[in-house]
Amino acid sequence: MFKAIKNGNGKVALSTLCMGLGQLCYRQIGKGLLLLLIQISGIAFFVATGGAWLRGFFTLGTIKANPAAGIAGDNSVIMLILGIFAWLLVAVYFFCWRANIKDVYATQLAVEKGEKPSRFGADLQSLFNRNFHKAALFLPLLGVLVFTIIPILFMMLIAFTNYGGEIVPPELVRWTGFESFKRLVTLKEVAPTFGRILSWNFLWAVASTALNYFLGLLLAILYNKKCVRGKAIWRAFPILAYAVPGFITLLAFKFMFSYGGPINQLLTAQGHRAIGFLDLDARWMARGIGLFVNAWISIPSSMLLATGILSNADRGIYEAATIDGASAYKQFTKLTLPYVLFATLPVLITQFIGNFNNFGIFYFLRGGLYMDGYFLASDTDLLINWLYNLSIDQSYYSIGAAISIVIFAITSVISLAVYILSPSYRQEETYR
Amino acid sequence: MKTNAKARFLKGMDASLTYLILIAVALIFAFPCFWLILASFSASGSIYSFSGFFPKSYSFASFQTLFTDTGMYDYPRWFGNTLFIAVGACMLGTLLVTLTAYVMSRFRFPTRKAMMKGTLVLGMFPSFMSMTAVYLLATQFNLINSHWALILIYSAGAPMGYMVQKGFFDTIPQAIDDAARLDGANNLTIFTRITLPLSLPMIVYTALTSFAWPWSDFILPKLILKEKSLYTVAVGLMSLGETEFARFAAGSVFIAVPIVVLYFCLTRFLISGVSAGSVK
Repeated sequence: MFKAIKNGNGKVALSTLCMGLGQLCYRQIGKGLLLLLIQISGIAFFVATGGAWLRGFFTLGTIKANPAAGIAGDNSVIMLILGIFAWLLVAVYFFCWRANIKDVYATQLAVEKGEKPSRFGADLQSLFNRNFHKAALFLPLLGVLVFTIIPILFMMLIAFTNYGGEIVPPELVRWTGFESFKRLVTLKEVAPTFGRILSWNFLWAVASTALNYFLGLLLAILYNKKCVRGKAIWRAFPILAYAVPGFITLLAFKFMFSYGGPINQLLTAQGHRAIGFLDLDARWMARGIGLFVNAWISIPSSMLLATGILSNADRGIYEAATIDGASAYKQFTKLTLPYVLFATLPVLITQFIGNFNNFGIFYFLRGGLYMDGYFLASDTDLLINWLYNLSIDQSYYSIGAAISIVIFAITSVISLAVYILSPSYRQEETYR
Repeated sequence: MKTNAKARFLKGMDASLTYLILIAVALIFAFPCFWLILASFSASGSIYSFSGFFPKSYSFASFQTLFTDTGMYDYPRWFGNTLFIAVGACMLGTLLVTLTAYVMSRFRFPTRKAMMKGTLVLGMFPSFMSMTAVYLLATQFNLINSHWALILIYSAGAPMGYMVQKGFFDTIPQAIDDAARLDGANNLTIFTRITLPLSLPMIVYTALTSFAWPWSDFILPKLILKEKSLYTVAVGLMSLGETEFARFAAGSVFIAVPIVVLYFCLTRFLISGVSAGSVK
């Protein structure tokens, strides 16, 4: 862009001052008028309302509602979201301005080479051909911006305010800097819970990912064995488990392990006492049941994955290994495992993160249990469950947002490191 | 002779052990489903009236009440809501994700790498984070109880998962595109007339997954839908207690059967789809 401004002629300078003027000078009427319209409407918008939105982003409201005196007051949350929106519009506006300079400079270069300035109709046509990616990505990008990026920005900013608890509109929210993060690690009630949940969360993610991955792989190898007849029939059972919607499975298992459930009925019928599998004092039993149920749900998909990978494996290597006298175990550790690991590394990371943030399992099995020694959580809750309890059930929004950022930091550091090191990312074009 | 017999014995042992494990695995996966199906045909509704895993007597009563007794639990309505949301999200989401994946696979433009890294980073945020935000914003802007809000949220999130589809498009040789271009086709024509017909398995897989997600999701509907008549099946079934166990089982069987049948018809696509995200 700086090159365009430095080397540009007077028309480029005109466009730098006011979008579209340079294009109009080149007789590109349609494009010029469109850009001029953007310029004028942009200025009009920021003078009329956008400026107030930008100011509101910093103050988050100054007038407190007072129904008795008939004062409507400011809604801090709406002011925050409008502020974010206004900043994004500033960014879009800047982007248009930059594109406008680049465009007029390109026209200048073309004219200097003796070509004609492009027609507006031809420019629009190029959206179906040379610039197809711009037209095609417009809707997806808009969707991601509105429903993913803006909400994430909003939540990140919430972590730096005192929103939540008593302070919800019509009360005024303030910016408080790193206060929520400080409370997370220093506050007497919150800090120990955070530590306990974090360590269990790590243990859970590693254990469940490893369990599901290796059992799925073993199952795939088993179904691939030569001596197995009717492979499709055997494989149908895990696929059945895969196809049943997750919430049905989870609720069914909850019923199965409940006090009145079939297992306890069998126990009491034999004269034993009923066991509270998922009760407050269940401790490791509840965690073990969580691991089992999660395995039941996830092993089928890792089995399918491994099946797909193994069907691409080179049979010749295995025959050679058999002739050389390698045992089945040796073949597994020296041939199958490295190959499958290499091929599935990206998927493995996704599974790890999925398990780290596995909300459903303990929400269904033990949702809503609060334990001694834990602040609004139980000993099976993962960070994501705690986040739910804090922000949705108890409206501690700012602390919840701080926890979200911590989760993000952990998962992104782990996976970005592995991902960038993984061959599938670096050698993207190799397999073309 | 002796070694031969020993080898045959070992082979037999190996095979029988394999089958033993296969049967055990099949039982583990089939049993809970089997249990639910039996429970849906139990004559009495409560889980307390079962003897162990099995109902004492069987009938179609719970299916009947499921569809006729709609005063407290309006299952037909929930089913309609779920179908509407899932079909809408499936069509819109499939379109968006296919477009994104195609562009990411075929075009090289300056912001491409940045976008790919960006989606990766955005994917690291707990999905809950944006959901909480969407919930807070929905309460502030009065979007609670809107089915269209759900469809938009589901389908707008779909392009984030474009990697699997991109991996598939990468395997379609560039030479086909180039040949069409020589014949005067533009990029839109290449996409609609050549790439899409070649990618049918991928599109089936995408449509299936983007249908199955809203079909069985419970978090978002639970946050957004507060009125009982607007519930989806997932939220509705969650509100059933132990005394309504047979009704829960019947409702589950009814919603699980179509999706299970779909999955079985499409197993072939499933395996290629699941493993498309990995390196071949």
